[in-house]
Amino acid sequence: MNALKFNWRTLVVILGIIFLLIYPLLGASSYMRHLFVLFFIWAIVAANWNLLMGYAGINSLGNIGFLAIGGYVSGILAKTFGLSPWLTIPIGGLTTCLLVTVFLGLPALRLSGIYIALLTLIFADSLPSILTQTREITGGAMGLHEIPPFFPGMTKTGAYYVSLTFFLVILYIVYRVIHSSSGLAFVALRDSENFAYCLGVNKFRERLKVFAIASFLTGIAGGVYVHALGDISPTTLGIEPFLLTIAMIELGGVGTFAGPILGAAVIVFGNEFLRLADTLRLTLLGALICLTILFFPGGLMQLVDQVERWVIRLLTKRRDLSKKE
Amino acid sequence: METIVNTLISGLISGSLYAAMALGLTIIYGVSRVFNFGHGVVALIGAYLTWMALQSFGVPFLPATLFALAAMFLLGVGIYRLAIKPLLQKPNWEFSTVLFMLGAGILLENVLLQLFGPRVKSIPTFLTGRLIIGFVEINGHELALIAIVIIFIILLSLFFKYTRLGQAMRAVAQSIPGARVVGIDIDRIFSYTFGLAFLVTGFSGILLGTKYYLNPHIGWEWMVKGFVITTFGGLGSTTGAIYAAIILGVVEALATLYLGAIWVWPIWFGMFMIILLLRPQGLLGGRL
Repeated sequence: MNALKFNWRTLVVILGIIFLLIYPLLGASSYMRHLFVLFFIWAIVAANWNLLMGYAGINSLGNIGFLAIGGYVSGILAKTFGLSPWLTIPIGGLTTCLLVTVFLGLPALRLSGIYIALLTLIFADSLPSILTQTREITGGAMGLHEIPPFFPGMTKTGAYYVSLTFFLVILYIVYRVIHSSSGLAFVALRDSENFAYCLGVNKFRERLKVFAIASFLTGIAGGVYVHALGDISPTTLGIEPFLLTIAMIELGGVGTFAGPILGAAVIVFGNEFLRLADTLRLTLLGALICLTILFFPGGLMQLVDQVERWVIRLLTKRRDLSKKE
Repeated sequence: METIVNTLISGLISGSLYAAMALGLTIIYGVSRVFNFGHGVVALIGAYLTWMALQSFGVPFLPATLFALAAMFLLGVGIYRLAIKPLLQKPNWEFSTVLFMLGAGILLENVLLQLFGPRVKSIPTFLTGRLIIGFVEINGHELALIAIVIIFIILLSLFFKYTRLGQAMRAVAQSIPGARVVGIDIDRIFSYTFGLAFLVTGFSGILLGTKYYLNPHIGWEWMVKGFVITTFGGLGSTTGAIYAAIILGVVEALATLYLGAIWVWPIWFGMFMIILLLRPQGLLGGRL
């Protein structure tokens, strides 16, 4: 039964990757390719956010701020100083990691639950006013435009494949982190904090490590964002992207690896349909978040697990019957 | 000199309004350890309800306020019964309530937007004219606001000190098992606490609505200010929140005078960071 479960999941992942690889060749419209680029970026953000929230127990609310820092640093370096995006994206990631870890991680991670949420939220909230203060460099409320793409003359298909590569690589890293010794340490901390301490788990250090990794990867996602889409402005830091990402994680399933990716797919594509609802869109989003938390805390992954268990029971039952015959 | 004194006074005025606003957050957190991330919108609902009663139904100010406060109390009890109570029984309640209130905040904000539209509104002031002592000039209305806030805070502290319900709330804030041992119904106290906190928050929203313009999105700004104040003063400490609100109100007024309004927020964030680093429990880290 375990083998069946394993095979089934691996098969879906492999099929999914193959589909993403050949999708542009199937004659997808430019609009769909754009949506997929958005999906890749937001899935990276959601997966890293979930790494903090679902696994490490760091209740961060400022991850969009990480994205914005990475995006702005990379965008400014590439546009104003003419550096290659391949150089500026890692620089953006590193800058994000350093800034965020020093200014947020070191003070916040020593504190307990709610303080982290407050500090990160207020941090992300103070970024727009800093951006308007540094108008000459960052473009203020107008934002940065015409940021150079990954390579000159890039098409939508080019952007698709570059962001797909980042998507696969970063998600693989997140997967490895979850299954590393840090990941195990978090499981131990969650199951029995005192026992974990006795085994020599240093909570602060483990959390700082994961915080640094997640902020670095989210900063990279910011770089991908600006070079794939070409612009960034303080509206990225607004309430809507923030809520959308929260909804992705909650809807997909907090604390599962595949959940936020599933959630990102549902929200990115679903949000386009919701444009029909116009002003009611945010109302529906808020209601969606509330209802998921209240009635469906495991998210979509809970549903997947349930269906899987149900199918397996059905299959094994049939096998038992055939044995009897 | 003149400008400094006048700036300090305007700082005190906004500080006392912030204090009223932060109280609602502190009461909920102090008793139930739930952090209300829909706080700003709750304050706005109080203000909008009063506006509606004043403008659409044409009732005078006092009944309009009472109507809004009663509605806020029911809203608080309702949200607790329907959503927070089941969430509190699950393991990760601390963060799931945060996310739930965030979602509920967005939901309610957009309901306000649908009902009242995006245009700014304001609750009419209840006093006109100004008080002039030497070079000090105070708006009569703002003086009334300070007086109302002070009376309100005194009434609240009397309530917590001398009524049975207030004493029970303080007992729950100190220790839930202890309160249970002496026969306090925790669930009932929690639901009254939510009602009371929503009422206080709605009242502060009404006061803010007479000084500032209302629109459905302003609540988030109020809420984040409330967060800084409550953390600065010490989570769950009402006196701490009042001191913090006045300090931050004066800082805001001084920063606006010397550096420009855009610097207020970075300075608040800086002060917030410093207090968290030096004294994570806030100015008066304690309980209700």
